[in-house]
Amino acid sequence: MKYWKAGIIFLIAFLIQPSLLNMINIAGYTPNLLLCLVVIFSFIYEDEMYGVVYGAAFGVLYDVCYSQVIGPTPIALTVVAICIILAREYANIENIINMWIVSIISFIAYYLMNWGLHRIAGNPIGIVYVFGKVPWIILYSMVVITIIYLILIRKVVKHHRDRYFR
Amino acid sequence: MRWIREHKLIAGLLALLFVLVFIFTISMAFGGGNNSLTNLVNSGTNGVSGFLSSLGNGIRNQVVGIFSHGEMQERIDELEKENDELRRELAAAKLEESQLDQLKELSRLLNYDYIKQGYEVVTADVTLKDGSNWTSEFTIDRGTEAGITEGKIVINGVGLVGKVSDAGEGWAKVASIIDSGNKVSFKLSRDGGQLGIVTGNSQGYISGYMLDEESTVVEGDILLTSGMGTYPEGLEIGNVRTVVNNSNTLIKEITVEPSVDLNSLRKVSVIL
Repeated sequence: MKYWKAGIIFLIAFLIQPSLLNMINIAGYTPNLLLCLVVIFSFIYEDEMYGVVYGAAFGVLYDVCYSQVIGPTPIALTVVAICIILAREYANIENIINMWIVSIISFIAYYLMNWGLHRIAGNPIGIVYVFGKVPWIILYSMVVITIIYLILIRKVVKHHRDRYFR
Repeated sequence: MRWIREHKLIAGLLALLFVLVFIFTISMAFGGGNNSLTNLVNSGTNGVSGFLSSLGNGIRNQVVGIFSHGEMQERIDELEKENDELRRELAAAKLEESQLDQLKELSRLLNYDYIKQGYEVVTADVTLKDGSNWTSEFTIDRGTEAGITEGKIVINGVGLVGKVSDAGEGWAKVASIIDSGNKVSFKLSRDGGQLGIVTGNSQGYISGYMLDEESTVVEGDILLTSGMGTYPEGLEIGNVRTVVNNSNTLIKEITVEPSVDLNSLRKVSVIL
């Protein structure tokens, strides 16, 4: 995938996240599309840095639009993307269970970092309140991640690997 | 330098992180994202997002309409009946013109701003909500062109929603009542003499205390704005969830469930 194509996908996610997606929420919860894309793109694309580049760029834009302080979203997204790139070396990207495990850990790490940075910036929001909502966001996001993963993995992995392939 | 040349990727990632942390520090030092950059980006994205919001609303309404036609017809019948009854009540309770003039005159004499008639109200659609699912701010599609400025009060059909925290051409950010920056003076709906102060606690509800230690506040009491401070009188805030007698401070501390469901807000009104 070319960088401009990935950029368009991130742009669409950025635009529909706070608008269209909120209209089709389930019990007030919506998937975190930007985070979903950062996780998937960092996990399945080995040579490109879509997750890092667009996570940082759209994270900044996101905070400019919707947050009191600029920084928590891009920092958390970038750190998550970097960690996934490092962890990917030890995982088989063709196995969807690995994708799920990486996604769950990434979501928890992201919200923990985001909450911590907001606390540093003076937002008194409580961790219990935040993490009371996280399981539902993860659940909803996992559905989205699975759909996007199943679409993209066919294009990324042209030839299946076995344990002797490297 | 040699290390950087040998580890270009790691150096690049570290540099990116450093830049982001620098932006975060600068942003904190200069009081967050309420600046001309915010204005520019919001104006740019608000048009597209506004269109997507209305599209989403349309789809949602159509889908709900298809699956609940029977229920909706029953509801319409009920509402029509209720509307007829309310019309009759309204007709019976309507003040005569001369009485109304007398009350207005009295209001002017007392110089009591909150009784004053003729608040101008602007209605707006909620276009953007923070996708993080836990912050309490949202954006509406009307802004400075409609006279909306920072500090204006936002309500809906149920009660108090919050306060405008920032505004620009075609958009305004609203901090909801669960935002910890919003302090609201209230009175009990069943006894206007019992006053208190509540503030958002960023935990999804509101907490506060009664000014009178002898207050008879109980769980389930409905709170209305008292009219003291920036909020007009009589707006419903929420109902009392818990009452705790603090033995140290000797005040009654309360937690309140907001009346307005912030998750399903579609339209709001701004009092100018």
